[in-house]
Amino acid sequence: MKTDHSDQFASIDSVARGFASVDYIASPAIATSVYLGFHLEKPILIEGPAGVGKTELAKSMAELLGVPLIRMQCYEGLDESKALYEWKYGKQLLYTQLLKDKLGEMMQGAAGLADSMERLHAHDDLFFSQHFLEPRPLYQALHQENGCVLLIDEVDKSDPEFEAFLLEVLSDFQVSVPELGTIKAQVKPIVFLTSNNTREMSDALKRRCLHLHISFPEPALERRILERRVPGLSATLNRELVAFIQAVRQLDLKKLPSVSETIDWAKTLLLLNAEHLSLDLVRDTLNVFLKFEQDIATANEQMRELLQAARKEADLTYASHA
Amino acid sequence: MQATLEDFFKALRGSDLELHLNAQVDAARAVELVGWGDRATLKHALGTTLAKTSADRAVFDEAFDRFFRFDAFQQPGAQPSSPAKAGETASPDAGQPANPDSSKNEASQMGSGGAGGCRGRGGQALSQLLLSGDSAALAKRMQEAAREVGLTDIWFFTQKGFYTQKIQQAMGLESLDRDIAEAKRAGISVRAEALELARKRLFNEVRNFVERKLALYGTAPTRQLHDEFLQTQKLSNIENRDFERMHVIVRKMAKRLAERHAQRKKQRVRGQLDFRKTLRRNAAYGGILFETFWRTKVVDRPRVIAICDVSGSVRQYARFLLLFLYSLDEQMSGVRSYAFINHLVDISETFEHLPVEQAVDKVIHAVGGSGSDYGQTLLDIEEQLLDQIDRRTTILFLGDARNNRGEAHSEVMRMLHDRARRVIWLNPEPVSFWGLGDSEMKRYAPYCHIARECNSLKHLESTLDALLRTHAASA
Repeated sequence: MKTDHSDQFASIDSVARGFASVDYIASPAIATSVYLGFHLEKPILIEGPAGVGKTELAKSMAELLGVPLIRMQCYEGLDESKALYEWKYGKQLLYTQLLKDKLGEMMQGAAGLADSMERLHAHDDLFFSQHFLEPRPLYQALHQENGCVLLIDEVDKSDPEFEAFLLEVLSDFQVSVPELGTIKAQVKPIVFLTSNNTREMSDALKRRCLHLHISFPEPALERRILERRVPGLSATLNRELVAFIQAVRQLDLKKLPSVSETIDWAKTLLLLNAEHLSLDLVRDTLNVFLKFEQDIATANEQMRELLQAARKEADLTYASHA
Repeated sequence: MQATLEDFFKALRGSDLELHLNAQVDAARAVELVGWGDRATLKHALGTTLAKTSADRAVFDEAFDRFFRFDAFQQPGAQPSSPAKAGETASPDAGQPANPDSSKNEASQMGSGGAGGCRGRGGQALSQLLLSGDSAALAKRMQEAAREVGLTDIWFFTQKGFYTQKIQQAMGLESLDRDIAEAKRAGISVRAEALELARKRLFNEVRNFVERKLALYGTAPTRQLHDEFLQTQKLSNIENRDFERMHVIVRKMAKRLAERHAQRKKQRVRGQLDFRKTLRRNAAYGGILFETFWRTKVVDRPRVIAICDVSGSVRQYARFLLLFLYSLDEQMSGVRSYAFINHLVDISETFEHLPVEQAVDKVIHAVGGSGSDYGQTLLDIEEQLLDQIDRRTTILFLGDARNNRGEAHSEVMRMLHDRARRVIWLNPEPVSFWGLGDSEMKRYAPYCHIARECNSLKHLESTLDALLRTHAASA
């Protein structure tokens, strides 16, 4: 993987440009981490509030490299059989039933139990071979011929046991399956882990990863993201919208609106053919980016000031650009 | 460059950031990749490899800004009275003080001073340097001298004078003094005065420099020493201002213990084959047992009833006992906490909703007073809690058992002893004081599985350890 894409990852700037070409605007911090992760062949543990583009980063990376994205969603109770591989019990059973006659034939003429066993032993690995193996995300990721981007999503939701199991994958890109031996990655995948910090990850895991914290973007960056993601949006509305969202993030809310909400809102406003933010318009569409009744009430209370501040801010940025 | 990076690691440790060896290797490789050229990129690269959590990142950012700043000398024309400002001007890619190439050049330029070594070659040149006002060269000289005397090992503020002196000497103070004396003897008072002034300025600069470095490298070892002191010190001797630090230590302790015991709990989860479930599920496969189901044991949650005396006689301890209870509550589920003076008050709720400092204050304020009555409290326990106590419950008493000559009601203790899995009594008084005066400890102790003297964090830790062990065994 390293040799195939060396030109795209020649410098931090070229990484940022590459991401821009797949419509992901990466801040310098993100570009640096990805660049280092690529060259040091280390997984990247991404933290940050929901909706700032943690998962999106992995998707864009896959698109940029032109390799498949293999996603593993973590949850409580996730174990090896769901993450790595499982035997196809049904198929094994079906085959034994179908092959009953064949087995009978094979056993014919066997003298005694020991002899029958002996004959069976010659075939015993048949039912525990690749054909009866149900590959799960991790197994798939290690078997991709051209490499892949492996996204281990919300790793903080998994159990500590599973986290320990991941360590081998993350440091050596290999796993040990009792029946098959050690499986090593053909091409080292690029691994992203995301965490929402519902619990602290173990030191061992953190040690194996680079750490990247993605926070809410700066106004300039957010405007660029909107330009990319919502192409039809007018420049004035873009400025007002971003300024408004930035102001809302200063409020004491249960769930602050993040980039994905900004994009949703921008799309909504575009659909409504809005040119400017007006009091009524914002009131009507508030529920697009605020998800709690309580938050909406809080924002409604301070709507006038927020809107004024946003307009002022937007004018300022306009002036500074012009 | 390698030396600079190593110094930076040292500074990070000074800021209490845990650095693993492979993080350091990563950082070195990252620096190789991105180079020293751009300050922002360097910061991102080092940050992503060295800081492993968002909290660490904040610490890292601060340390980075402090470390990679250019320790410039003041221009001689400027006011010598405000030398501290001199270092504030951070230039973007400066701060890599000792570039090996340029220092070599410098050495060859300054060969006139005398035989090799920083001190020797500095002699003549230091007075020249000071007079010429080449602040960059002076700053570099100071950095070199600092490295020579091993300034990164600085620990205590008392070492400030020592290191200031050493650095000045390494920079060539002796020959500067000689120059001053010579100038005086020769009667060139202007030169002598200028040199005297320069010498003072040099002293100020170096001292400020050393102070900054002390802040950078010295905090962690000092704190460690302080922590050790707090751990072994009697709880009653620890002052309130250390309360926050104590909470950090206690919490660390509790976390360490929880981690140590998590392993044991996990093993218990593995059970035997759940035969009924296996049969039922495999009915679909014609009764052939393909899928197996294992019986998993429900992990027995630690059930602790903790009862804490907060009366006047244990006032000094009460805050820390409550702190301990609070940490216990954080780490283990199923802890019910009670406080008492002469009757039982449930404080679990307070602990759940308030941060530690407020919670402890509130409890002491709400319950506190003087004249503890253990007898009445035991009766309260009998009345309110007895039905909650079964063979899985651990009861933890924290108090001195000074009953103010009231009725002891040790028969309740016996009942508790019979019903509960364990009764643990932690007494802040030394064993030799038990039973003296109005202490009822001698009467209660026979009905405790463990009765211990406990008045320092070390004691608390070993008790917590024992507590968790019991729970692992009972699971």
